[in-house]
Amino acid sequence: MRKDLFSESERLAEITKYLRRTFELWGYREVFLPTVEEFRAQLRKGTKFAYNNEFYIIKPDLTSQILANLKEPRRLRLYYISEVLDGGVKGSWQAGVEFIGGENIKMQVEGLLTVITSLESMGIEEFYIDVGSLRVWENALRGMEEFREAVFKALTRRNFEIIERLPISEEKKEELWKLFNFRGRKCSYEKLTRIVEIVDDDRVFIDLGTIRPLPYYSDIIFEVYSPEIGKPLGGGGEYTFKETGAFGFAFDLKALAKLFDGTKLEKSRKKVSDYRLAKELVKLGIPVEVE
Amino acid sequence: MRFVLPKGRLFSNSLKTLEKAGIELKPPENRELIVKNGRYELLLARAFDVPVYVEHGVDVGMAGSDVVEERESDVLIPLELPFGKCRLSLAMPEENLVSVEEMEGFRIATKYTNLTRKFFERKNIEVEIIKLHGSIELAPKIGIADAIVDIVETGNTLRANGLVEVEKIMDVSALLLVNRISQKTRFEEINELVLRIKEAVKDGI
Repeated sequence: MRKDLFSESERLAEITKYLRRTFELWGYREVFLPTVEEFRAQLRKGTKFAYNNEFYIIKPDLTSQILANLKEPRRLRLYYISEVLDGGVKGSWQAGVEFIGGENIKMQVEGLLTVITSLESMGIEEFYIDVGSLRVWENALRGMEEFREAVFKALTRRNFEIIERLPISEEKKEELWKLFNFRGRKCSYEKLTRIVEIVDDDRVFIDLGTIRPLPYYSDIIFEVYSPEIGKPLGGGGEYTFKETGAFGFAFDLKALAKLFDGTKLEKSRKKVSDYRLAKELVKLGIPVEVE
Repeated sequence: MRFVLPKGRLFSNSLKTLEKAGIELKPPENRELIVKNGRYELLLARAFDVPVYVEHGVDVGMAGSDVVEERESDVLIPLELPFGKCRLSLAMPEENLVSVEEMEGFRIATKYTNLTRKFFERKNIEVEIIKLHGSIELAPKIGIADAIVDIVETGNTLRANGLVEVEKIMDVSALLLVNRISQKTRFEEINELVLRIKEAVKDGI
């Protein structure tokens, strides 16, 4: 970002224009959050400092900041575009959405479709989404909760040796090995299969080895990536806020900036031949080119 | 597929491990840093940078757990490898020996600033950390640091410089690293590679 702030800015301005539009079309409203918050334990990341004998935090993780400011859960669709600090002086730019109080399965489907349409709106078509589930692992670990931490460490590192060393039966290890390597479109977990079925996109897979090392997710989690760059484009998942279900995700804007190629966008404009149709499409938010 | 291996201490065993797993990568001649070999490409990097290369897109790498922890790289670590065994320790001159608890305000010289800071934070002791890039043992000798945090293999280097190990911070071993995205986009290929390496090193190297 620092190398050439202004040309990088120009790219980000371009990208966020499409993201804002897509988020708005799905019914999300932009939320403006303060840069500095009084320190509370639920605020993650961000950089802490003391001022006048009080503790504060600069640019914390946005999901945690939204929830910290929301007294009671209600149905809300919010999006943000903001920098997040890593605990020191390094920041990364993110764009994300939170859908609080949505219906089960519907909100997960909507979240994934928002990801897909956001990327497509920027002309990014070559990407994959791997969807996993924490519940599948919790179920597999029932009765052996003492090994939960070890199994999740094995998952985040993708190191099966950690599981092999556990004092559990060979059948259990075999079962975990299968989950560890499961990749497909249908699995024994109905909810996950339904979500992927309704989203109905060739780029979306069930991958039970996809576990993001964040403490707050409650079940469905996913990661978006492109074979063109070695870092995830973003990810998100399902969480609970005061017994209310919610689903959110964030994009890494730096990663999107690497993939964004404005010239591809030109090609993705819908070619139409009459102005009446063009007007209807534009109303629906679809970019057109009248020939 | 692209591999990145560390120059130095771990290089020959890294190469040997891959060879035993059926992947022959020619070591570079002259001073090249990239060697192509059929469908494989070998990159040579400073040990400290290997996890960073893997995090940012090189498919597979090998590095010590000390540098992976120090750089806090977001990489997959499917295997621990049976070489590069040593430990990261806190050491100080024999003549001024004190316990860790008495090190408040001490100056610590190290390559591992992150791990050192975390170690002292856990113990609630405030120290000043000086980053050096090599020959750390020199720092207490000439009085610019009171103690050091560095890799200890046999302890000979410490002894030769009049230093005594005060506390072990972590055990170190070579690790196999895989880029998170490569694991997804080359799922079968990477899984097979991991299994082959696992098989190849199961009785040591």
